Amino acid sequence: MKIEGQYILPGPPEAVWERLNDPAILVKSLPGVETLEPDGPDRYRAKIQYKMGAVSGTFAGEVELSDKNPPHAMKLKTSARGGPGFVTAVGQLDLVAKGKETEVHYSGDLQLGGLLAAVGSRMMEGAAKKSIDEFFQAIATSLGNSSQ
Amino acid sequence: MIPTAFEYFAPKSLDEALRLVERHGDEAKLLAGGHSLLPLMKLRLSVPRYVIDIGRIKSLRSIREDAGALVIGALTTHHDMETSELVGSRCPLLAETAAEIGDVQVRNRGTVGGSLAHGDPAADYPAAMVALDAEIVVAASSGTRRIRAEDFFVDLLTTQLRPGEIVTEVRVPASPEMSGSAYCKLHQPASGFALVGAAAQIALDSNGKLASVAIGMTGVAVRAYRARAAEAVLAGNKPSGKLLAEAAEKVADGIEPLADLHASAAYRRAVASVYARRALETAISRANERKA
Amino acid sequence: MATTTKYVGKPVKRKEDARLIQGIAHYVDDRVLPGMLYLGVVRSPYAHARIRAIDTEKARTAAGVVAVLTAADLSQAIGPVPCAAQLPDLKPAPRPVLALDEVLFVGEGVAVVVATDPYTLRDALDLVDVDYEALTAVVDPEKAARKDSPRVHDSLADNIAYRWEIEGGDLRKAFRQADRVLKLRMTNQRVIPVAMECRAALAEYDRGDDRLTLWSSSQIPHLLRTQIASMLKIHESSVTVIVPEVGGGFGSKLNVYPEEALVSYLAMHLGRPVKWIESRRENFLATIHGRDQICEMEFAVQRDGTLLGLRAHIIADLGAYYQLLTPLIPTLSGLMLCGCYRLPNVRVEITGVLTNKMSTDAYRGAGRPEATYFIERGIDFVAAELKKDPAELRRKNFPKSKDFPYVTATGLIYDTANYQAAMDLALQKAGYKKLRREQEAARKKGRYIGIGLSSYVEICGMGPSSAMPAGGWESATVRIEPTGSVRVLTGSSPHGQGEETTFAQIAADFLGVGIEDVAVIHGNTSIVPYGIGTFGSRSTAVGGAALYRCLEKLRDKLLKIAGHLMQEDPAKLVLRGKQVVSRRDAHKSMPLLDVISAAYMAKTLPEGVEPGLDETDFFEPSNFTYPFGTHVAVVEVDPETGTVKLLKYVAVDDCGNVINPLLVEGQVQGGIVQSIGQALLEEAIYDEQGQLLTGELTDYAVPRAADIPWLETYRTVTPTPVNPLGVKGVGEAGTIGATPALVNAVVDALSRLGVRHLDMPMKRERVWKAIRDASSAPSGRARKAK
Repeated sequence: MKIEGQYILPGPPEAVWERLNDPAILVKSLPGVETLEPDGPDRYRAKIQYKMGAVSGTFAGEVELSDKNPPHAMKLKTSARGGPGFVTAVGQLDLVAKGKETEVHYSGDLQLGGLLAAVGSRMMEGAAKKSIDEFFQAIATSLGNSSQ
Repeated sequence: MIPTAFEYFAPKSLDEALRLVERHGDEAKLLAGGHSLLPLMKLRLSVPRYVIDIGRIKSLRSIREDAGALVIGALTTHHDMETSELVGSRCPLLAETAAEIGDVQVRNRGTVGGSLAHGDPAADYPAAMVALDAEIVVAASSGTRRIRAEDFFVDLLTTQLRPGEIVTEVRVPASPEMSGSAYCKLHQPASGFALVGAAAQIALDSNGKLASVAIGMTGVAVRAYRARAAEAVLAGNKPSGKLLAEAAEKVADGIEPLADLHASAAYRRAVASVYARRALETAISRANERKA
Repeated sequence: MATTTKYVGKPVKRKEDARLIQGIAHYVDDRVLPGMLYLGVVRSPYAHARIRAIDTEKARTAAGVVAVLTAADLSQAIGPVPCAAQLPDLKPAPRPVLALDEVLFVGEGVAVVVATDPYTLRDALDLVDVDYEALTAVVDPEKAARKDSPRVHDSLADNIAYRWEIEGGDLRKAFRQADRVLKLRMTNQRVIPVAMECRAALAEYDRGDDRLTLWSSSQIPHLLRTQIASMLKIHESSVTVIVPEVGGGFGSKLNVYPEEALVSYLAMHLGRPVKWIESRRENFLATIHGRDQICEMEFAVQRDGTLLGLRAHIIADLGAYYQLLTPLIPTLSGLMLCGCYRLPNVRVEITGVLTNKMSTDAYRGAGRPEATYFIERGIDFVAAELKKDPAELRRKNFPKSKDFPYVTATGLIYDTANYQAAMDLALQKAGYKKLRREQEAARKKGRYIGIGLSSYVEICGMGPSSAMPAGGWESATVRIEPTGSVRVLTGSSPHGQGEETTFAQIAADFLGVGIEDVAVIHGNTSIVPYGIGTFGSRSTAVGGAALYRCLEKLRDKLLKIAGHLMQEDPAKLVLRGKQVVSRRDAHKSMPLLDVISAAYMAKTLPEGVEPGLDETDFFEPSNFTYPFGTHVAVVEVDPETGTVKLLKYVAVDDCGNVINPLLVEGQVQGGIVQSIGQALLEEAIYDEQGQLLTGELTDYAVPRAADIPWLETYRTVTPTPVNPLGVKGVGEAGTIGATPALVNAVVDALSRLGVRHLDMPMKRERVWKAIRDASSAPSGRARKAK
């Protein structure tokens, strides 16, 4: 399924870019990500603890940044697998300066596999949007904090 | 269809249950009727470490009146709701809603509190609860609080409930004189959940004008909501076919409808209008019958 | 038939039901053996992926886990799943019991875990870590058939499994002469059988006796035994297959599956019984699916409604691998595509296509529901285009009853029929003319009522052998025991059809005993002579006929012995009320038990008569049987929501002679309900990545009792000459006849809006959208059928 949207983040693209590339920030910002360990350049292994109401689970995941064009664009691929199946999200992030702020466009494709595809699809689109919201909110917060 | 291992508790009192949820917090799930939780656990989409079965707390299964309000204990089953004389006379909308849930087996086990706490966007009760301005009473070791139904539902499977809290009862204000209600539901053909559910609670004044009107919608969006824009079209006016149609057009204003295998967003929006209108028509005709 | 019919033709209640409704019937899962282990399958969440590595270490070392095996351990030891189809130039696509290098559909097994209890097993399944490299999934069969499509099987040049064609008459001439050529494209969507009991298998091996016993929820115990022996390369004489109670099959258990071989192999190698019970989720993913054909049809017609010719191309989605009959099913559709019409000039082409999905195979009706849907939807389409009444168009093109046996342009010989009579009865019972008037009146009030017809003919009584992949006969043994009780052994394998009752009815009448004296034994390959099994509405038409011939032999023997004892001409004796009675003198009789005793004591037998009362027969019919009928559906469509409500349903079926009207009724009702499922609700939906989105009963909508109005059923009776009982078969008729009637009714309801065709299922949104699009089309008549 296709997902896309945009956010306005406080600070210039350079600052946003820095945070998007900082594993310490990512681990705090990616919803459910408990640990993030480097696994080669721009690759991380993640342990993801997922929870939405009664639905919960642990996934082993990977986060990969690629096709980088600092501070304008990059690809972000996250994948996670666990008992109920897998989720793969491949997204394009574009950063555009808007005055003192940065507009981030994201567009991507969300793939579900196994049980998640069979019974999760009703929830997953909403859940994905919610997770992305939380992610950018956290990035915004980190920018807010540092600019203070 | 076997869940992951969990530790099971069966507290006999609310206090004991509250101590358990406080201790285990996020890692615990409450088990009431089990019709939402157990399927998720069997599919391993829900993997709680602790299951606290509150089904033995008898005090939570009750229907009574208190200062004009109908007070329903959290463990009241859908079947209780469907067949209770008190609910039928004081709040027929809830009885009608309960009768639309699942099948007989589900209604025999499933509970009001369990359904509300689960926060399924396609559950039936939320439409009626928001239309009725019900309050959901939650207890924690630190005390109780009341949450308006309209605020209670936050997002997909997400409510205002915090770890350590238990839904204990629902308080439904008394319906005014000359009121009528209806719940109209389009069933998802496989699961029986509401693809769209519209609950209408209205009251007429002596001139036949709508003294009050409330429309609760479920199944349409990530959470149940009040269709305020539609209500505003009707309130204070004499209902006519044209007016109802005009109001029904607005039931999903400002709402981003869900889309899934069974209905696109456009279809949900369209049938939400149809079902809201049908619920209003039925509610008004019932109010007129009561008047006559 | 027998001289008296105390039971045959009567609505005798099922002998099976007492144990079923008391919950004391035994299914595979009810059997618990000492030391039993539990097997589970790790299944692919990918539709198409390379297996990079499988890490079994964590699972293997978990407490309670006995074994973890992958294809690397098993591919030499266990052969692939068998396919009985033989078609010219069929590309090989055998299914391995576990995927070796690549997985080709979601749900394909990649490893098995064996543990001491189901709980440990379930946890251990999650511990097997499979590293997949996702490959492009091939999902859409039409795209899959294109040259530039990614391939499902690396080893094959393309995804086209086979091309099959059949032609009769002079098609070019027909199309040249036609006043009109009418084209329609239709889909018969993928559906899932959803038997109440999922699959189940349990194996036990006795090393001392070298005896493997496999309990399986199957429709074909003997074929399964043969195939298991050959997959495991062991002596067939060492293998016993036992089929206990089976909770429905609908064709989904007319197959051999990897799990049956896996439990057998592991029971032998671990020396302990091994059980596998399928979950509903696995049943959706990894038990065969049905239908999934797209048909483009062109009719050559005269203005007066005479059908001159039919050209059709069917694309059949076979899934990733062949199960037992996968490639054959669409060819049955091709053979039956002329339906019950005089269609002298026909050409049918079939393209069987491989995709990254579960295999399709025989699902109740197997090929005939597809054919019937296409031709019957086509006929209503033609009628609408020519502005003819659909009943009249049918009447005009039916062969007359005197034309039978009737040879179709596809080379089949229809045995006997009176299509006209069945349709007339259906129209009369439905009140067709009145319905049309009511429809018109309702239209004026803005109500959308539709009337749909379907006149079907199907092919049943699967035999003769020359036309079958694995033998078209059936066996029966009848034994009269010394105490007078009768044991009927049948090669059929009833699993809901009720042959324990119908066969007992036949035997009781024939031998002049009570139905309670007859026990029907089936489903144990060490007790019952080799048989073919229960599918294709064949059990009574073929198995029942074998039984009939055994009974004839036994009756003759009993009468010969009785004649000797009674000093009477055996030709003048009859069996009646547990007596042998002279036809000449009713006072001259002898208790049947005395004759039976004589047969066993063997002291006073006539010359040349062997002791004992035990006869076996293998019956092969000379032709298939062709049941037929007409169904009428009346629906109302809610234009605001697209909801279809079934208002009335009338079915007239002709299955030849009837042994038990209660069971015929049950089969027809159940079949129609399954058709309602396909026409209105059911659809197996795979997404673009090959994920099955309707993978649980929360999303795959089967019909519920509340969806079904009263179904009125009637019969005409046209016995078949191809078997001595004159029965044609009725197990699939409802599923075959009903689907097009329902769809035709919905399209008819919307026809005034300009809707010319809608594909199944008639989901609310699809109908709603058709109404909305039609209402907004400029002329209201401008819509084109795709």
